[in-house]
Amino acid sequence: MTITTKHMLTFLQVLSWVIFVGVCIEAGGILFKMIYTLFWHPAGADFFWDKADLSPLYHYNRSHFIVETSYMVIVSCLKAIIFGLIIKVFYDKKISLANPFNRYVSRFIQSMAYLAFIVGVFSHCGVNYTEWLVSQGVKMPEMRHLRFDGADVWLFMGVSLLVVSQIFKRGIELQEENDLTI
Amino acid sequence: MPIIVNLDVMMAKRKMSLNELSEKVGLTLSNLSILKTGKAKAIRFSTLEMICIVLDCQPGDILEYREKW
Repeated sequence: MTITTKHMLTFLQVLSWVIFVGVCIEAGGILFKMIYTLFWHPAGADFFWDKADLSPLYHYNRSHFIVETSYMVIVSCLKAIIFGLIIKVFYDKKISLANPFNRYVSRFIQSMAYLAFIVGVFSHCGVNYTEWLVSQGVKMPEMRHLRFDGADVWLFMGVSLLVVSQIFKRGIELQEENDLTI
Repeated sequence: MPIIVNLDVMMAKRKMSLNELSEKVGLTLSNLSILKTGKAKAIRFSTLEMICIVLDCQPGDILEYREKW
């Protein structure tokens, strides 16, 4: 059995749903834990999210805790938005295999590029901020537990997608010109 | 675009309908309509040649350059 583009798209749709649910749980969990720690019980910082113990940071300075967790919330929310966009594309049914190069797909790639770039920027800021806190003597968990790992990969992906989106845009212009050549 | 397509003028002079021109030139009605309304981005020499033959005119009778105001 050969794997066709349609099979691949169906597989990607299922995969996107699984990842989307995962990142939504993560984003919601981090946001809830942040609010819980700040307004209900400071013990929430002990097991903040996935082995990340932020209690030393909370006891060091509450403002720094808010900034650090805000970075985490922003990054995880943006990741959820990225996968939400992918699912939306599948459900809008605007990907036509007969005519795959259209303005909608171009806009989608461009949005993905900007979002990936913003995730990269915020992750990078989060990494720098965490390193600064470590230099101040605060015991911080590993970057992967704070969800800031792969900041440079996100930046690279953002820039690459932006280049692809520009080429795609030019391709659509050429196709439209070709369609309007009598 | 400063290039004006005067296809309708020539068709009126030759008293030819869009359907008739479409049949004789071998273009679809929609493509001919795109050309007539000035929405076309380009025209092939072969198409222009066929139109000139059918309407018995010169390319300059169909295409005109007008400067933008």
